[in-house]
Amino acid sequence: MNTLQIGLLFGLATIAVLFSGMPIAFALGSVATVFMYFFMPHASLDTVAQNVYEEMASITLLTIPLFILKGAAIGKSRAGKDLYSALHIWLSKVPGGLGIAVTIACGLFAAMAGSSAATCSAIGSSAIPEMQQRGYSSRLCAGLVAAGGTLGILLPPSITLILFAVAAEQSLGRLFLAGIGPGILLVVLFASYGIFKYRMEVKQAQASADQGGDRSRILQVDNYTAKEKLAALPKVLPFLTLLLGVMLALYGGFATPSETAGLGAILALILIAVVYGAYKSSDLIPIFTSTLSEATMLMMIIGMSLLYSYVMSYLHISQSAAEWVVALHLSKWTLFLAVALLVIVLGFFLPPVSIILMTAPIILPPLRAQGFDLIWFGVVMSVIMEMGLIHPPVGLNIFVINKIAPEIPLKDVVWGTLPFVFLIMFAVLILCVFPDLVLALPDHYFGTATTKNS
Amino acid sequence: MRLTCANESSTMREKSTTNSYVLDSLDLLISRLNVVIVFFSTIAVAAAGCILSWEATARYLFKIPSDWQDEVTIFLLVGTTFLSCAWVQQSRGHIGIQALSSVLGPRANAARILLGDLMSFLFCAFFSWKSWTLLLEAIEDHQISGSAFGAPLWIPYSSMAIGTSLLSLVLFAQILNALLRPSASHTRIPAP
Repeated sequence: MNTLQIGLLFGLATIAVLFSGMPIAFALGSVATVFMYFFMPHASLDTVAQNVYEEMASITLLTIPLFILKGAAIGKSRAGKDLYSALHIWLSKVPGGLGIAVTIACGLFAAMAGSSAATCSAIGSSAIPEMQQRGYSSRLCAGLVAAGGTLGILLPPSITLILFAVAAEQSLGRLFLAGIGPGILLVVLFASYGIFKYRMEVKQAQASADQGGDRSRILQVDNYTAKEKLAALPKVLPFLTLLLGVMLALYGGFATPSETAGLGAILALILIAVVYGAYKSSDLIPIFTSTLSEATMLMMIIGMSLLYSYVMSYLHISQSAAEWVVALHLSKWTLFLAVALLVIVLGFFLPPVSIILMTAPIILPPLRAQGFDLIWFGVVMSVIMEMGLIHPPVGLNIFVINKIAPEIPLKDVVWGTLPFVFLIMFAVLILCVFPDLVLALPDHYFGTATTKNS
Repeated sequence: MRLTCANESSTMREKSTTNSYVLDSLDLLISRLNVVIVFFSTIAVAAAGCILSWEATARYLFKIPSDWQDEVTIFLLVGTTFLSCAWVQQSRGHIGIQALSSVLGPRANAARILLGDLMSFLFCAFFSWKSWTLLLEAIEDHQISGSAFGAPLWIPYSSMAIGTSLLSLVLFAQILNALLRPSASHTRIPAP
């Protein structure tokens, strides 16, 4: 069999096994092992376990469980609610301030927790009822929270960016910094859309009130005193300090990314103990069990994806596929568009971690050959994958919203998130036209030369 | 004839009760093992966080060079991953693509899940076998890690071997449940 036939068989086997519903980790491991048996020297089968161990025993990869622990500690506390409430009070004078508060709270929470689902759940559980009570439409509430939650895979400490750093052999510190600019861009776009929709809903409510209908709650303006504003701060400041402290430790040269993960996790546990008194076993057990569950599931997928990539590389499938793509002589942006479409389609079915590890060996060489900066591409790929979190059929955040606000019909959640899918596409376009939005910060901090693994 | 049917029915009931007893015992054994494993995994994750925090603090404040910390953290977190994977499987926490579940009927879905479990079991059993081989080699050859610290490799390899063996056992129990008492097999076993 030639490489093309083996490659096609490999692809078909992967699709068949993945769609059987078998856990992704075991599906990828099974395909890799079967192809090792048939197409690689039999001795390679003896090193399956060793291969997986050696691929997983990377201190960069192993920051993931600790960042998840940090996210779980903050996510299971009342930090999200307090953060959102404080922003709401401080932005009450701004038209559509509640929507802006939700978006900013999601961005800040995502930067502390690093998880899209945790962000959606923590902010949404308090923000959605509050917004509904104040007359915001269900679609806008659901859309804002679901879209805000997607920032979890872009803003540091994003697990997606950690994996991209490993797969593309790029500096993690540089990638984390590169994610900040696009993160802020998305927050601005989401908040602007929130204000625009708010104004439309206010107009409709005003027209309805003028025609003698009920006066909607959305027309009322809340006023908070300076005392109330100051009273909202103490519970939020420690977490903002943690967020800034972790960034300072990482970029001030005090700690490596792995040490930052450890410090962040331990400090988050100390903070929730001090601020919320969450130090009893009944508080800590859910934090640790959810960390173990999520981290184990992700690390198994990562370990087996790396075995899968190793087999693909040994059989020259990834190299041949990459050479084939290069030989197509696609223009720079046609290639980018093709890769973006591939990532979007894969995002229908696969989580970002698998997409990165399975496609990186194939898509990165052609992109590098076309002169794309891989730091820029890693961040843009994460932005593209954000779409997968808010559109069917997987749309993890849609289901999180459905779980925390079951009174909002799934149809409304899907329609509510749709404008944000277009906003993310628009953000990708902006990042293509202005790549400095991604690269300016890391280039300013680290210099323009590409560095390997920080 | 009626007597034969009654006897057959009674034999089947006894067999079913025996099956249930065996499966319940197996589930209980796995659950108890997982409680112990989750307890130690929790300590391992917390310890990894503390060690890395100490590494940064000691190096920055006391100028103590870091030598063993990264290695120990890797051992703790790799160990945690493999040891906990059976517990995650027990509550079917390893995610898969469920696109076909809404298209297929209940019987076809049950067959699909059973097939997936069977393939997962075969892979995990194979992986477990290779992990034990790796562990025995590491013990016999006194293998150590490549770093200056030179920690013995049997430590992480043993967690792989034990963890994947337990994972295979969980998958085996889930297959048995699906075959011997299909109505109960889709209910999630409460995790510890």
